[in-house]
Amino acid sequence: MGGKKTSITNHIKRIRLARTEFTQAGLAERVGATRQTIIAIEAQKYAPSLELAFRIAHVLGEPVEEVFQFDSSLWD
Amino acid sequence: MAFREKTAWIMSVALLLGGVFYFGVVISGSQELGASMPPLIPVVAVYGGILAIIAIIGHVAAALTSLKTANDPMDERERAITARARSLADSVMGIGILISCGLYLLSYDGNQLFHLVFGTLMVSQFLHYAAQIVLFRAQSAVAD
Repeated sequence: MGGKKTSITNHIKRIRLARTEFTQAGLAERVGATRQTIIAIEAQKYAPSLELAFRIAHVLGEPVEEVFQFDSSLWD
Repeated sequence: MAFREKTAWIMSVALLLGGVFYFGVVISGSQELGASMPPLIPVVAVYGGILAIIAIIGHVAAALTSLKTANDPMDERERAITARARSLADSVMGIGILISCGLYLLSYDGNQLFHLVFGTLMVSQFLHYAAQIVLFRAQSAVAD
């Protein structure tokens, strides 16, 4: 379904598939979120809180700035 | 579909069917009387029964189809969606109560006041769940 994209872009899916064996559900369980929230973050439909962003980066084993970026062109 | 979204659908349907029953009885009764029908405990009890039965059966069915996640606490996205929906529902309830009281000052019809306030509660609760569905859908995407 449609919906506005957030200005927080991310490489969760690429890192998750390339460097880990986490499924969306597995990652969700590790960071204390629901699978739907991980799906929404990967699709840029939801911008996570700072704490959740750090948790995701920690579980993926990457610095947070490698996982999340700010796209000013999407900033309104 | 997430468990929370399923429960929002169930409660929306329950409130809609309950509301249709309640106001169906009240409108037809008022037409027969030629004035606002007084609130009747059996009608309110049946309304509550409709809500309870649909909610119980629906939640059991939702839990059975979401066994892994039904007991999970809300995460931050779900809490934010629920809070936004609650805020909208509270605003609608405030406006509805204000209109109901205003109409009472014009008509001094206590029966009408009861039905309007009761209807306002129904509408605000329905909007609480309907808004959750819209917000959940707006953030949904395809899983891999």
